[in-house]
Formats: sequence, C-alpha cells, structure tokens
Amino acid sequence: METLVQSLVSGILTGSLYAMIGVGLTVIFGVMRIINMAHGDMVMLGMYGSFWVLTLWKVDPFVSIVVLVPAAFLIGVFIYRFLLKKIVPSGELNTLLYTAGLSLFIANLALLVWTGDYRTIKLKYAIMPLRPFGIAVPIPLAIAFGMAIIITAALYWFLVRTDTGRAIRATSQEPEAAALMGVNVDRMAVVTFGLGTALACGAGVLLAPSLYLYPTVGEILVAKCFVIVVLGGLGSVPGAIAGGILLGLVESLGAVYVSVPYKDAIGFVIFLLVLLFRPSGLFGVGKS
Amino acid sequence: MKKILIALAIILLFSAPLIVSTPFFVHLMIMVLMWTVLGASWNILGGYAGQVSFGHATFLGAGAYTTMLFYLKLGIAPWYGIPVGGLVAALIALPVGFICFRLRGPYFALSTLAVAEIIRLVALNWESLTNGPVGLLITTLPPVTLFGRSIDWESKMPFYYIVAILALAALLATYVMSRTRLGAYLLAIREDIDSAEAIGINTVQARVAALSLSAFFAGVAGGFYAMYLRYIDPDAVFPIALSVEMVFIAVVGGLTTVAGPLIGAIFLVTLGEVFRERFLVGHLIFYGIFMMIAIRYMPEGIWGKLRLWMGAQH
Repeated sequence: METLVQSLVSGILTGSLYAMIGVGLTVIFGVMRIINMAHGDMVMLGMYGSFWVLTLWKVDPFVSIVVLVPAAFLIGVFIYRFLLKKIVPSGELNTLLYTAGLSLFIANLALLVWTGDYRTIKLKYAIMPLRPFGIAVPIPLAIAFGMAIIITAALYWFLVRTDTGRAIRATSQEPEAAALMGVNVDRMAVVTFGLGTALACGAGVLLAPSLYLYPTVGEILVAKCFVIVVLGGLGSVPGAIAGGILLGLVESLGAVYVSVPYKDAIGFVIFLLVLLFRPSGLFGVGKS
Repeated sequence: MKKILIALAIILLFSAPLIVSTPFFVHLMIMVLMWTVLGASWNILGGYAGQVSFGHATFLGAGAYTTMLFYLKLGIAPWYGIPVGGLVAALIALPVGFICFRLRGPYFALSTLAVAEIIRLVALNWESLTNGPVGLLITTLPPVTLFGRSIDWESKMPFYYIVAILALAALLATYVMSRTRLGAYLLAIREDIDSAEAIGINTVQARVAALSLSAFFAGVAGGFYAMYLRYIDPDAVFPIALSVEMVFIAVVGGLTTVAGPLIGAIFLVTLGEVFRERFLVGHLIFYGIFMMIAIRYMPEGIWGKLRLWMGAQH
C-alpha cells in the first residue's frame, strides 16, 4: 500500500513537469502545425541556464526561473522569426526535418561548449526529503511541482481569458477563419512559439535539480514529449496536461509493478497503440 | 559520356586506397562508404517512397547484432553474417511496416521513433542474448586466404574493399529499384498517396516492400559496422542520433537520386570526421547546420542541385 502511494506521488510530481513540456509542444503544434524536434533541446538549455546561473552567481534555480523563462521566450521568438518562419509553409514533414537539424545543431553546440560531462545541481536543502505520512518527497521536486502547477495554470488562464489567448486558440482551430476575423495570425505564431519555448525552458530549470544534465538529454525528453502530446491528442492543452501526468504515473507505477528496465518502453508501447487506434488522443480532442 | 564517368568513378573507388594509403584517409573512406550504404538505405524509403523514418537505427542495430551473434555463438564468419544481418533486418521491417504504415506523414515518423526506442530498450535489457549494456566484442577474425594470400585483418584495406562493394551494391539496387514497377509505385505514393490508392496500387504492400529493401541495406551496413569496429553495444548501434544521421546524409546529398547519398556522405562524413579529429566532440554540428541550409535553400540536395545546373532532364 505504501509503495503504491509512494509511486503515485512521485508519478504525479514528475508528471506535472512532463505536462509543462508537453503543453509547450502541443500549443506550437496546434497553431503552426510544427512538430518541433528541437523542443527537448529547449528543456536542455533551461537546465544548463539554471546550472550556470547557480554556479556563477549562486542564484537558486527556483529564483533564476523568473529571468530565464522570459529569456527563453525571446529565444523562441528569435528562432521562429529568423529560422522557422520561411519553412512552415512548405509542410509538416519539412518542418519536422528542419527542427531535427536545429536540434542536432543545438545539442552539438552544447557538447562543444559545455563538454559531454554529466553535471548535477546540488542544493543545500535537497539532502533530506520531506516525509509527510511516511512518503518520501524530494524537496526540489516538490517545489518544482508547485511552480509547474502555477505556470501551467497561468498559461491556461492566459489562453482562456485574455484576448491574445483567445486569438491563439482561434488560430489553432481555424487559421483562415481567424485571419478573416482580424486576428494577426503571424503575430500569434511568433507569440505561441515563444510561449512554447518558454514552457520547455522553464520545465528544464525546474527539472535541473532532480536530473543529470548532459547536452544530449533533449533527445530522450523530446521522445517522451511526443508520447505525452499524442496520448492527450495533438494540439490539445488539457490533453497534454493529462498526458503528462499519465506518463509520469505509467513510468513510476511501471517501475514498481512491471519492471525497472522497461519502464521507459511502456510509455512508447502505449504511444504506438494510441497512434494506431485512437489517433486523436485518448480523450478524442486532438487533431489527427 | 555518362557511362564513362561512372566507369571512372568505379575505377577511382577501387584504386583510391592504393593512391593515398594513410590510415586516417582509409578510415575516412571506409566511414564515407558505410554511411553511403546507410544514406542509400534511407533514400529508398525516405526519398523514393517519401516516408520519413526516424527509426532506421533499428535495422542497423539488428544487422550488427545478428552478424556479431552468428560469429560469437555459432562461429559463422562475419562475411556470411553480414548478408544474414541484412535479411534479419528486412524481416523485422515486415511487422514494423505493417504496424507503422497505418499512419501517414509525420505520424509515421513519430511511430518509427517509438519503435526504435522500444527495440533499443529490449536490446539493452535482453542480457542473455545481447549481453546488455556491456556489449559484444570480437577479438580476432577468422583467417581467410584469397588468391593464395592470407588477408591481413589488422590492416584497413580488406574492410575498405568490402564496404566499397556494399556501397556499390546499395547504389545499384537503388537504381534498379527506381526502374522497376515498385519504383514507379513508390513515386506515385510519394506524390499523392490517395491518388495512388485510387488507381489500384496496394500502398501498404509497396511501402512495406520499400521498407524491407531499405532495412536490408541498413542491416548490411550494421553487420559491416560490427565487423569493422569489432565492438557493439545498444547505445552505439540503436540510438536516435544514428537514425537522424542517416536522414541528414540522404537529404543533404539529394533525395530521390541514385548518387545523392554518396555525395551527402562524402560531404558530411568528411566534415564530421575531420572535425572529430580536431575537437573530439560535437562533430554532428555541421550535420545540423547543413540540414537547415538544405531544407531552406535547396530541398533537392547537393546532387539534385548539381544535376539541375548540369541541365539534367529529370
């Protein structure tokens, strides 16, 4: 019983961060039909960003996120404006290949600059986990969980309640109709790519104290991202949140009840099954 | 004219290591030719059939492990194991194809990525067969005498000629395939899959056939990889990065052209290996840069662009 509760808790904690990354990928897909292979590398950049800020200026990752997320937004805007914009009209496969190139470029640049060494972030308060009701909860992961919820909720509020958010959702549903209603579709694309990048980067900052950092970490993260967004239905924000939590749970329960080595494979098997039998996602809200 | 050029290229191919025989150059040429096989393999599926796969490392790994295991467990020499590795890869491609080809475009690409990751994890954890993360190692290759001389496996020359033959075979197979009915089917599928279906092409069968042929050459290259480097482990032969490299070589060289993968491999692998000699890490940075440049400015690839300049008809 205790193991079950323990793995449920850790599944939900990690799942919240997966959800945050997945939401970033899914809004980008929804608005621009870009399957962003470089999304995992944005998470990696966030991780390294928080690592260097901590090492050089001794600023805690949970504080530096306030600066790093807006910086990531600008990087996203820059990438979209100067690199991706011209590629998008040539189709989903071309953007897929292009972002794969971008991903390899970023990861290898990181390898050159930061070497392939594994790094860790050590926080003073991270040594002993909290033990509410006898369940171990690592403190950095608990803080990350809280912040991920706040950020994701803020984004959700932004999308549902503000004019820009409504315009983004309109573009996602029907770009031509949105343009006819006076929505500046181009600007929405820029804003959305910035937002998606900021979310990925922010999740990277939050994850950094709990994971190893190395330049090619994005490769495995982006694969997980695809699992999450396809589970929830490509283009659907609530779907990506549910998909993220679901993948977190599948991994932690799978590690306990199926097998540790195959915990990552379970996610991919479910992914394939969903792609084949429910291409619009488990909740039937995505775009196939 | 064209025939003379091809004949000259083949003569150059077989005499190159005799002209410049420094170990680095021969190693570089071996790598270029091995990646030519892999690029050609990907080109059959990604170029001619227009199906973007991000999971071709699966077939490379299957070939590498088959060749290695046949030698280590059954004592069958790698040069017999290499074609067997290709066949095993082609067989694995059948179920993979029938599953993944239910999906189209980017969804197919994502599903191949998932399959490749599942198979990598299986290879990593099925320790009784694959020896898990420790990997498999060949210490010596069995002696062979050819024309009365025994072959020196410590030199790189024999490997050069083996991979040169494999590369020629892969390019020849691409050429022959493009001339057959299957080649025409694949082009029709690439241009418009619904229309292809409407005129009575069995698109699943044709795509699975292309995937199998493609997987065969990836498997063959994998078998060669195992024999040349004499050591494999799941992270060396099954990673996503390897699948992505194949894509880049084919795209940068020129999709849907016979010689494209060769040009792509000469260009990218040379850049990469020279860079690796100098900086040790990050040698794929150029792959990324040139991929972006290619998609943006010349989607037909280097060879495709050259052919346009030379005024080729198609």
